[in-house]
Amino acid sequence: MFEVAIVLITAVVVLLIAYLTAISSRDLIRLLISLEMMFGAVFLALIPVFSIPEMTNTAFGVLVITIFTSSSELLVLIASIVLLNRMTRDVSTDIVSSGGDQL
Amino acid sequence: MDTVSLILLALGSVTVLSSLGVLLSRDNFYSALYMALTMIFIATTFAVFNIQSAFILIAFIFIGAVGIVTVALAAVFRYVPKSIPVDRLWIIPTILTIAVLTYTLYKYATFNLSQASVDISAFQSQYALAVVFLVCLMVLLMISIVKIVRREELCLK
Repeated sequence: MFEVAIVLITAVVVLLIAYLTAISSRDLIRLLISLEMMFGAVFLALIPVFSIPEMTNTAFGVLVITIFTSSSELLVLIASIVLLNRMTRDVSTDIVSSGGDQL
Repeated sequence: MDTVSLILLALGSVTVLSSLGVLLSRDNFYSALYMALTMIFIATTFAVFNIQSAFILIAFIFIGAVGIVTVALAAVFRYVPKSIPVDRLWIIPTILTIAVLTYTLYKYATFNLSQASVDISAFQSQYALAVVFLVCLMVLLMISIVKIVRREELCLK
């Protein structure tokens, strides 16, 4: 009975830890790690959808799309890391002066 | 509490603990290792529900490719910050997110999970076009990334 609660609570906790890691990250590598953790939480949240017989294939489709999205994110972040390292000899996000937001 | 719930509880606990390792470890390399461990536990949760196709996809592609590349990157660009600051104002959106997720959990907590299997042949016929589009999108993205990196290389020269 509590199986879905355990899976969803784990997904929520992993997602929040990933958010905390992202907002406390000072370099692109840690940002990449936190984004992958977020995708992990999405995978966990998909498990209840798999148990609905009519939605099983749709859930698998969403899983495939999520994996493609995470691969694309990895590709873009690797390019960013390589370029930032070439330009500044550093992967720290502190040196990025444009973009972003301040609370 | 039945056996599946106990296994899930143990798996959930180690998943949360290893993800805490990602947050608390200051060295990126160890963070990446903890992340790979978290992903393995997440894939194992799929195996508990006998969703083998999803388990294989996550284990081989997500952990085997994406995770290992991240670990390798973290090993190459090893960076240990002196302190990890968190702005306290982030507490507000975090509390809002927790509230929304808790309500969703309260609403669907009693939903019964059953073992399900993916019909791969039906999936192939239903989603073949979507997968072809996704592969095309990936190739386009790769070409764009290569063009951007080459252009920046020329600018740096």
